[in-house]
Amino acid sequence: MRKLTTLLLILAICISLPSFAQQTTIKGNVGDTSEKKELVNAVISLLRKSDSVLVSFTRSKSKGEFTISNLQKGDYIIMISYPKFAVYVESLPIKGDKEIDLGKINLIRKSDLLKEVVVNQKMGAIRIKGDTIEFRADSFATRQGATVEDLLKKLPGIQVNAKGEITAQGEKVQKVLVDGEEFFSDDPAVVTQNLRADALDKVQVFDKKSDQATFTGIDDGEKTKTINLKLKDDKKKGYFGKVKAGGGPDGKYENEGMINYFKGKKKISVFGTMANTGKAGLSWQDNDKYGGGSNFDYNEDEGYFYSFSDGDEFNTWGGQYNGEGLPRAWNGGAHFSNKWNSDKDNVNGNYRFYKQEVAVEGATRTQTILPDTQYFNNETRNTYNQNINHKIDAFYDLQLDSLSSMKLTINGSHTNGQSVSAYTSEALNEVQDPVNASKRNLSSNGTKGAFNSSILWRKKFQKKGRTISINFDEKYDRSQTNGFVKSYNDFYNSQGDKFRTDTIDQKKESNANTLSFNSKISYTEPVSKTLFLEINYGFRVTNSEALRNSFNKTSASDPKYELRDSLYSNDYSFLVNTHSAGLSFKVNNDKLVYSIGSNISLSNFRQKDLRTNNLYKYSYTNLFPKASIRYNLKAQSRINLTYNGNTRQPTLDQLQPIRENTDPLNIQIGNPNLKQSFNHTINLSFNDYKVLTSRNIYISTSMNIVDNAIGTSSNVDSVGRRTNQFVNVQGNYNANMWGGYWFKWKKLNVNIGLNFGGQLFRYNSFVNGLKNINDSYNYNFGVSINYDKENKYSFYFSPRATRNYSVSSLRKDIVTKYWTSESELGGNVVLPWKMEFTTDVNINIRQKTSVFDRNLNNVKWNAYLSRKFWKNKTGELKLCVLDLLDQNIGFSRNTSSNFISENTYNTVRRVWLLTFTYNFTKNPAVK
Amino acid sequence: MKRLFFLLLIILTGCAGMAQTQFLAKGKIEYERKINVQRQFDFTDENSDWLKDYVSKMPKFNIKYFELDFTGSKTMYKPGKREGVSNKDMEWGIGPAKDNIIITDLEKQLFSSKKKVYEETYLVQDSVRQMNWKITDETRIIAGFECKKAVARICDSVYVVAFYTDEILVNGGPESFSGLPGMILGIAIPRLYTTWFATKVQLEEPVESEFVITGKGKKINQKEMETTLQKAIKDWGKEGQKNVWWVTL
Repeated sequence: MRKLTTLLLILAICISLPSFAQQTTIKGNVGDTSEKKELVNAVISLLRKSDSVLVSFTRSKSKGEFTISNLQKGDYIIMISYPKFAVYVESLPIKGDKEIDLGKINLIRKSDLLKEVVVNQKMGAIRIKGDTIEFRADSFATRQGATVEDLLKKLPGIQVNAKGEITAQGEKVQKVLVDGEEFFSDDPAVVTQNLRADALDKVQVFDKKSDQATFTGIDDGEKTKTINLKLKDDKKKGYFGKVKAGGGPDGKYENEGMINYFKGKKKISVFGTMANTGKAGLSWQDNDKYGGGSNFDYNEDEGYFYSFSDGDEFNTWGGQYNGEGLPRAWNGGAHFSNKWNSDKDNVNGNYRFYKQEVAVEGATRTQTILPDTQYFNNETRNTYNQNINHKIDAFYDLQLDSLSSMKLTINGSHTNGQSVSAYTSEALNEVQDPVNASKRNLSSNGTKGAFNSSILWRKKFQKKGRTISINFDEKYDRSQTNGFVKSYNDFYNSQGDKFRTDTIDQKKESNANTLSFNSKISYTEPVSKTLFLEINYGFRVTNSEALRNSFNKTSASDPKYELRDSLYSNDYSFLVNTHSAGLSFKVNNDKLVYSIGSNISLSNFRQKDLRTNNLYKYSYTNLFPKASIRYNLKAQSRINLTYNGNTRQPTLDQLQPIRENTDPLNIQIGNPNLKQSFNHTINLSFNDYKVLTSRNIYISTSMNIVDNAIGTSSNVDSVGRRTNQFVNVQGNYNANMWGGYWFKWKKLNVNIGLNFGGQLFRYNSFVNGLKNINDSYNYNFGVSINYDKENKYSFYFSPRATRNYSVSSLRKDIVTKYWTSESELGGNVVLPWKMEFTTDVNINIRQKTSVFDRNLNNVKWNAYLSRKFWKNKTGELKLCVLDLLDQNIGFSRNTSSNFISENTYNTVRRVWLLTFTYNFTKNPAVK
Repeated sequence: MKRLFFLLLIILTGCAGMAQTQFLAKGKIEYERKINVQRQFDFTDENSDWLKDYVSKMPKFNIKYFELDFTGSKTMYKPGKREGVSNKDMEWGIGPAKDNIIITDLEKQLFSSKKKVYEETYLVQDSVRQMNWKITDETRIIAGFECKKAVARICDSVYVVAFYTDEILVNGGPESFSGLPGMILGIAIPRLYTTWFATKVQLEEPVESEFVITGKGKKINQKEMETTLQKAIKDWGKEGQKNVWWVTL
């Protein structure tokens, strides 16, 4: 003990030595009042009086004594605590004395203190709930149109100064929340001066906030005073939207209007667009805001999200127009959604309307490679299509309890389509002599409809990982088309003389419908913490019927088409029912996640020719194996390997035993003997991202091998007529690889990317009874450079070159190979007077080949100049020119069989457009 | 038998004022760290409706257990043995430095820690951060101990609420928090939407010689590490800032 005292003494001297004069030591002794005992290990804390900050602390020693040295002058609070004793608190001014002896300090046992009387205040308008003071807004009268600030000034204990700063119970309020969320800005004044007082239900002032899990609900910054404004339910409403009008020379226009109205969780939006500039539908961002939004779900085992937005023609970027021809498009839609009952009930509905007219002028040049000869075909076409589509979809999601939910989904659509087209073509032989020539006119008019519905019930159990889900769905599709084919075909002999002319003049009728029902139940069970088991069973039945009739005129003079042509007519039904059961295991370790499993299915097929009553019946038993491995090498670095096996059924079009003669030089024949094909798919990917150095590597490869692939057997006769029939072929595969390396060049703040890709295809087919193997591949590499200085300017350049190669085993001497290159260059600059200039240039270089010898190089240059107006930049005037050099060319090449073709078509070219956009917003809660 | 003896020894030596109260000088504490995952995202962008939707489907909390061993003036904080919700796929949601190991020498006021920050593992050595704890008169019971509440700020503006008990004689706490007269059994950082609360305190004596950090890493001091991260994620906005705060814990 003496040792300790000496030690303490030395310590005290050492500490107090350097600044001897000003520093104070305090000492004392802690004891227990009732038992007259010293208290050991009591905590003696010294707090600064002005802000309660802990300055120093110690514990009482074996006799209850304590010493705190090295104290500066100032006002302190001494706080002494000991378990189960009331805290002793006393103010302690230190004026510069060398030592203060506090003597014996006695603590009082809590059990000796009187129980604290807690009084709950309830004065009507003001309630104290735990740490929160709550004011009922309506109880404090304010003038009409008063702001929240006006209201706050009336609340007891709250002051607002001229700058809008709020003080509550003497402390500055740092944050104002609206319904527990930050609203527009961190600055309290922005909220209080813009919100209307009559929109408020309650004002809650958090004093000393409770720090339980509930804190997660509010971003308060803790000890900072926080005011939460609870809005009245009916005041959570407002609207926002935009109007855009644009026009240019040659009758070009691009107009849009959209409005979104919300009230509480109810959301209603309506939009309409019209354009003939190639823009169709909503942009992705707008679709998110005004449309139904995307549909996300969370996969709990894997911890990732997947999106199941349908990817239908409405939801894709820029709508349905694929760049071919000159489009005019009208788009409209409405959306309704609501959540209630603490978000347990969620309903969402959408209606969309779409009308598009496209006029295409195009030309196709085809090279047909045969064992002994070649044909060259030149075709020009003029088509006009009109589509009118209505679509509805809706879902109702109901959270039954905390562990189970039910979701009901329906969608339906109706499309009306009309099409008129005219084709002229000529076929030439190897020495460029004519073989045949054709003129064709087609017209058709049809409707399509679909109605799908599904119901899904999911339940989780208390045991983590145990789930059960049941779903039923129904799909119904029908289509009905009527049309006419008129075709005149001339055939030439080797001397170049026309020796025959075929004429087809037919009326076509087609009626098809498919109805399917599907049900599935699946169950997952955690066998251990890392091993999961999944079992499922499903039953599906699909019934399709297709009636296709061709009629000839009864006689040349009679305009009525009443004579059924049995060669081109058929009435067919196709029924499939499938039972499927499966089992899979999944092992989920920190580094390694893998799964393996298989489904087994029994499918029965019944095809029936309804006119001849011929019946084809057969059944298959299939395995659907699947396996995947994911290995997390380290943070943000992983390898994935997956394998999937699945079957693909031939479509009704491929099965139905009918000759299709809409193009009499290319006749398609269905094959009822087709077998299903089986696909093996293997994927391997590697990803490594370094955050600190902004470096990313990604490589992905996949391989697809098909057994019994559905290919074609074609016969080309001496006059260039081709007949195609679907047949099963062996040995098809394809593979692809894609990868890239991205990094940031920190010195120049430039992002640089290097990327490459490649594809490999093998297609088998039969040509004039001989087996043909077509091998084709392409590979490409590119560079991308990005530089941007926020709110000043940005620049990017990304060149890319692609090599294409194709050869057929029938004629190894004929090889198609060429380079293409696409480069993008662009940037933007922020100019004075709220102006901005943006430009982008697309440079396309396409190497000619011996067959495709036209110059198809072009430069597509777009430029935009815009200026924003008004407060909050709600208005924008924009002048843009698309394809300034007027060089846009529609182009595609197909080299993946022994028919190599190049397709060129008209497309939207130079457009000048002046647009004005006005964004508006109104929230009654916002002044 | 030997273990029982140790336990007795601890009680006898650790509880000087036996007649009144037990004071612990050695032991192990288990903390439950609870992160509100959904609140790790910031919705400042006006186009973020889809993100909100996305986030609302995530599980709300990420829960993980940590262990704090303390003996004499040394503490070691490390991921615990109890399995919690794995965060392996949540890295993008909850950010870096979520599995820290920290050894603190309270007497010398030095710490060494191992932190995984994205692709890098850092071995940080520096002096213990000095905090200005404001002591309040609020109390609450955590793991059976009565704790007082204290509040301090880190990184200029991030409030840290701590609950400490004077019944433990070691002045440490989870992560790198210390400096209160007793053991910190609860920490809440509202701006990170995260809490650490002790779930149990065991009398088991930790082996001081096991207070070592193994494995490779880049040696660095606190300031350098913060600067490196600050640079790398300066374009990330508010969310990036949150990640810097995490790394400083």
